[in-house]
Amino acid sequence: MEINSTGFLLFFIVVFLVYYIPLKNSAKEQNLWLLLCSYISLAIIDWRVVPLLIGATSLFYGLGLWIDRYNHRDERKAEWLTTAGVIAGVGILVYFKYLGFLVEASMQFLQHLGWQVSPLTLNIMMPVGVSFFTFKLISYIVEIHRCHMPPCRDFVAFATYIAFFPTFLSGPIDRPKPFLSQLQTARSFTYPSVENQAVDGLRQILWGLFKKVVVADSFLRFIEVGWSKTDECTPMALLLVFLIHPVQLYADFSGYTDMAIGVGKMLGIHVAKNFNYPFFAQNMADYWRRWHMSLTSWLTDYVFMPLNIRFRDWNNAGIILACMINMLVVGIWHGANWTYALFGLYHGLLFIPLILNGTFASKKKVKFEGYIPPLGYVGKMLLTYLLVAGGLLIFRADSITSLLHFIRNLAFGVSPLCDVSLDANQFPLATFLFTLLMLTAEWVAMHKKKEYALQLSTEWKTWVRYTAYMALVLLYLLKVGGAHQFIYAQF
Amino acid sequence: MEKTDILKQVQDIFRDILDDKNIILSDASTAEDIEDWDSLTHIQLIKAIEKNFSIRFTSREILSWNNVGEMLDCIKSKL
Repeated sequence: MEINSTGFLLFFIVVFLVYYIPLKNSAKEQNLWLLLCSYISLAIIDWRVVPLLIGATSLFYGLGLWIDRYNHRDERKAEWLTTAGVIAGVGILVYFKYLGFLVEASMQFLQHLGWQVSPLTLNIMMPVGVSFFTFKLISYIVEIHRCHMPPCRDFVAFATYIAFFPTFLSGPIDRPKPFLSQLQTARSFTYPSVENQAVDGLRQILWGLFKKVVVADSFLRFIEVGWSKTDECTPMALLLVFLIHPVQLYADFSGYTDMAIGVGKMLGIHVAKNFNYPFFAQNMADYWRRWHMSLTSWLTDYVFMPLNIRFRDWNNAGIILACMINMLVVGIWHGANWTYALFGLYHGLLFIPLILNGTFASKKKVKFEGYIPPLGYVGKMLLTYLLVAGGLLIFRADSITSLLHFIRNLAFGVSPLCDVSLDANQFPLATFLFTLLMLTAEWVAMHKKKEYALQLSTEWKTWVRYTAYMALVLLYLLKVGGAHQFIYAQF
Repeated sequence: MEKTDILKQVQDIFRDILDDKNIILSDASTAEDIEDWDSLTHIQLIKAIEKNFSIRFTSREILSWNNVGEMLDCIKSKL
């Protein structure tokens, strides 16, 4: 049940009405209702994930209480329990996501060494959302161990945090403290109200739908043909595939995120931010502060920082090593494939010049008046975009072979004897114009410190605002059809 | 050493490392309040503070601080 499907819409209408009408005065009842709805929606997608989720939730709920008990009495025991919890969380992830790949890779390695081993393939089904809920579980016990929050003593609230259906499948990865604090009081719906979250949520969902359906899905076919029939594409078409891929992935993933955040707001719950206009970044470090922020901030707090503290006497070498390990984890988190490891390594290497010349840490912005940036700023943005596109070539490839194949055909072209399946003139120009519209709106929104671009409409006259909404709905209805899965649902 | 003296020295270190003479620290200050105080500059600040006071923090101590006040308490406990 995807967040942009009719099934989800009908499901959410029921959730919303029960949540705000009979249950409006009770936080506990609203939480229980959210939990039930979350488990039901997960059972519809894959019922097998529910017992795993309940088991893991119970284990980490108990661990949280236990770690807190020993935090000030016996630090070693608290440390040991936290380590055991982290191993359990990572263990769940490794078992379901990586074990099959690791066994296969080990067999191949042994065969290369000349050992006689029979091929072994493990058919382990990866449960939906496992990459996201394990990170929430780990985050919870580490935050308690670091004394950043007390343990949650309300099991229903804790289970709701872990299973919250709008973000369960593809994030954002919420942190326990801000999320759980919102579950302590009843959420009410007040309309009309300037600060009505539900209206803002609905607006953000509309913007997310525009990005997903009008931009991402419209570019999808062009990119898919480019990758599935690389031999039959002209170099110019492959160049366009290379250049447009970051925008397509961004529109898909941030479109989903806007919808998830919007659904959260409609339920009175603020979900973690995941994007902060990443294509306006001035270098790769800046880009990673703006892209998939809930994952990168998670890894910064629980991987990069502990490593960086440990390596702090090694100066730049320590920072580089911590950075390389961190980016490798970013890559591998996306899946069990050498291409993801290479993707992480590529980004880790891009950090080295920034660390050596001292610009890694610099967040100081180039100041300019108005909306027209200086040439140097534009140059930095374009260079960063090209580096991101380079990384996404590795990210998108099924294997190292197909990556090299794509690069070779991009550089040297196809055989003149081949039938051409994709030419540059098949490039969806109308979608490109919508992309320019999207990026221009985001540029203005970033300068006005808006959370997402359509929030600019709050400053417009009523008739202009509603005309814009109707235009977006119309575009959505014209473009919708052949529902495409969200790319990040596979991770 | 009094906590206010420690705060003054730590504030000078922040101003020097983050290259911003206008930084004013209080017990409640966090990375959210100070531009350029991020995961990387945090380490540079830690190293400078350790050198200035001739002390050594453990990883757990560094990772447990919620604000400047908790960091100052930790420094004071080591002097």
